[in-house]
Amino acid sequence: MASLAEATTRTEAAERRRVRPLIATLPAVAWLLAFFATPLVIFAVYSLLTNELYAVGTPFTLDAYRDALTSTLNRTLARNSLEVGLSTAAVTVMAGLPIAYWLRFVARRSRIAVLFLIAASMFASYLVRIYAWRTVLGSRGLVNSALDRAGLIDQPLGFLLYSRFAVIVALVHIFLPYVVLVLYAGMGPLGEGLLEAAQDLGAKSSLLWRRVIIPIMAAPAFSAFVFVFILSAADYVTPQFLGGKDGVTLGVQIQQNFVGVGNWPLASATSFLMLLAFVAVFAVGSFILRRLKLNDIRLSS
Amino acid sequence: MQGRRAPVPTAITIAALLFLFVPLAIVVLFSFNSTGSLTFPFAGFSTRWYHQIIESVAFRDAVVNSAFVGAVVALSTLVLGTLAAYGLTRASTRLRTPIAVLLFLPLTLPGLFLGLSLLVLFSRVEVNLSLGTVMIAHMVYVLPYYLLIAVAALQRLDPALEEAGADLGANAWLVFRRVTLPQVWPVLLAAALLAFALSFDEFIITFFVIGPDSTLPLFIFSTLRRTVDPSVNAISSLLLVITLALFAIAFVLTLRGSRTSGLSIETEPIGSAAR
Amino acid sequence: MSGPSAGPRVRLRDVAKRFGDVSALEDVTLDIDDGEFVTLLGPSGCGKTTLLRIVAGFERPSAGQVLLGGHDVTKVPPHRRPVNMVFQRPTLFPHLDVAANVAFGPRIDGLSKTEIGQRVDEALALVRLDGFQPRRSHELSGGQMQRVALARAIVNRPQVLLLDEPLSALDLKIRLEMEVELRRLHREIGGTFIYVTHDQREALALSDRVVVFNEGRIEQIGTPNEVYRRPASPFVARFVGDANVIPVDVEPADDGAAEVTVGGHRFRTPASDVSGPAWLVLRPEVVGVSAPSDDRALRGVVRDLSFRGTGHSYRVAVEGLGDPVKAEVSGGSVIDLGFTVDLTWDPGACRVLPRDPGED
Repeated sequence: MASLAEATTRTEAAERRRVRPLIATLPAVAWLLAFFATPLVIFAVYSLLTNELYAVGTPFTLDAYRDALTSTLNRTLARNSLEVGLSTAAVTVMAGLPIAYWLRFVARRSRIAVLFLIAASMFASYLVRIYAWRTVLGSRGLVNSALDRAGLIDQPLGFLLYSRFAVIVALVHIFLPYVVLVLYAGMGPLGEGLLEAAQDLGAKSSLLWRRVIIPIMAAPAFSAFVFVFILSAADYVTPQFLGGKDGVTLGVQIQQNFVGVGNWPLASATSFLMLLAFVAVFAVGSFILRRLKLNDIRLSS
Repeated sequence: MQGRRAPVPTAITIAALLFLFVPLAIVVLFSFNSTGSLTFPFAGFSTRWYHQIIESVAFRDAVVNSAFVGAVVALSTLVLGTLAAYGLTRASTRLRTPIAVLLFLPLTLPGLFLGLSLLVLFSRVEVNLSLGTVMIAHMVYVLPYYLLIAVAALQRLDPALEEAGADLGANAWLVFRRVTLPQVWPVLLAAALLAFALSFDEFIITFFVIGPDSTLPLFIFSTLRRTVDPSVNAISSLLLVITLALFAIAFVLTLRGSRTSGLSIETEPIGSAAR
Repeated sequence: MSGPSAGPRVRLRDVAKRFGDVSALEDVTLDIDDGEFVTLLGPSGCGKTTLLRIVAGFERPSAGQVLLGGHDVTKVPPHRRPVNMVFQRPTLFPHLDVAANVAFGPRIDGLSKTEIGQRVDEALALVRLDGFQPRRSHELSGGQMQRVALARAIVNRPQVLLLDEPLSALDLKIRLEMEVELRRLHREIGGTFIYVTHDQREALALSDRVVVFNEGRIEQIGTPNEVYRRPASPFVARFVGDANVIPVDVEPADDGAAEVTVGGHRFRTPASDVSGPAWLVLRPEVVGVSAPSDDRALRGVVRDLSFRGTGHSYRVAVEGLGDPVKAEVSGGSVIDLGFTVDLTWDPGACRVLPRDPGED
């Protein structure tokens, strides 16, 4: 017989099979089945149908997928999306880690205030941010004016706006607060005692980061990374306003296919191919994490 | 530990805060610019743009629509979400997992998918696009965010309190009403405010499912699309103020919530704190 | 609280609780009379709390029946059982003040406001917290919180009051005060109390009867005195009295009594029907420690020594015995670590229990 104490506590929770409370989830479940699952399924089916200009019809065909995969434009746009997505994710996570670290281990009385500010900035409207960056990065905007006043440039820097750079900057602005909060929350296990114990055992800064902080933060950082990657790669509004010609992404193309051109199957096929790519990125990343045994570090049950 | 010296993280944090707020501050600043210019230098202080938009009927309609949609969405999410959170946290069966997956799935998909698929649904079922379709879409989008907060709040409660309620004669409904709810209502209200803010600000999905009426983000979008209209600064600033105010209220509610409820569990002998 | 009734107030018949193939409780049959203070005693994980929760209705037994006042309540949910529980940690409702906490049960019963007010005042007076009505739980000390929890339970006049280690979260001094309060409360109310604890000192101090549990089974039921002085098994002897339990062989002596061999020496034991393999049970306080003088005494070396206030606690290593022998000696002179000593005891003060030859 297993140790009774552990077995009792462990299986007591599992044993108490209470199904009845689940009834309370029915309204929400019904709503999502009707307005989330079903539409997605229909949308997916559309990718297999024939294009009939703002409509679809039988017969079933793989034309849409073929068109989506063979189009060179799509390949360029996919590359753009990938670049935008990965860059945004990388920048936010790499900036987010030191900020989260600061909040957790360096801040004293300013911690609550900074947390408040960061959380508050999440509530700034999406469109307002895009507009704000358009102002700041413009040829007579803040950055160029300041550089001009300081005598550092003669002509306004063109690459700042209507470029992939601008898109990435705006997306980083949008997602950074979220990433910081997720990483800060993920630092929970890094209790005060843990770092002190490591230092007591001789770990100096770089080792501390390499052996303690980064392994514990790997999983939350990864999920933040993937979340930001997916949302920024699929964004279709920011590129429209800040991307110019080089900054067009797949999301814009999908939107235009659907609303502008009216080729619904193509829009759908492209969407699901993009989704497939997201899943692949997530799967690869999870696999790597699991191989490195970083996927689920908990310090106490 | 606090107070360690760490110049690099400190510098990055300061830079990040500037990065986050300076662009927004500039928008607010220029909303008071007397000329329509969006470039430096700043001409002079004026509130004419605010007058202009407040007089605009289209603007007022958009605000009212956004508020209306937001209120409906917040209320329905409050009900649906609280019920779902209760079900998820109080049940213990393997059935819980697929349900939880379904309920949280919208978080993982970009708004593009949600918007397009709903547009497809509505066209298939031949429903006209309107504020109603916007509400439907928003409820799908907002629900997982509400659930994240509500589930966390319900899980943090000490289960012994609910057992005590049952022991003293309260059935499941009374336990919820007299023991659980009094403790979590501030957090739930904060989450509902968040739902309102998310809906108020939503654009990506709304773009696809909106009908002839406009919401405030749509109004801003179409204004931006046209010429560079300086009134956008004023509109944007107003929007910023509204959502930030909502956030502040929600923040205060959450702080209050963790104070009056028994959400923190003591780990040392209570007698040692005897007064 | 509850008047005299025919038959026991609580009957447990063959109650079992299993989680998969793990058995938390097995063959639990127990009668508790009206007005008794019964303690369920045992180490962590022995099932005592599980049994209490079965009586309260928070767990369903895998087998067996629970009867309260003659009625089968095995399948009745907790909010409909005429019992009330005091939990291990104070579970006062933080959003209500003391009066509202205590009034919780009566309010659900739909009593009138005046009646509720009266009962609340009564209950708070019983736990000696008059005037605490408007206080909130964060203004109370741990002991006060548990007293409010008690009031909140007894205000409903339950047939049985269940207490799940209510004092374990409190400091020692407060715990001792609360024990006195609990005994007084029991005397004044005259109700049936079922108490759970792993602290044998507490169990012996509070109860009319003690039920000792080990790994889900009842090892012994008896008064504190019985359980302490006449343990029915080695487990009870070790757990309740912290006794020395030494494997021996009982041989008949010439005059009809019995003798055992310990560490190479023979000692007399009281007459009993135990023969052959047995356990010799020696409570530490009956073992005397002295300088070596008698070659027939049990001799050993002092391996540990601690001061107890009223005396000393020795652990003496004896050759041939696996565990050191524990002795509690009050007053007197101290014999230091490393010294050789003689251990003696009055043959009448030891006890012999049967042993399976396989056990050791």
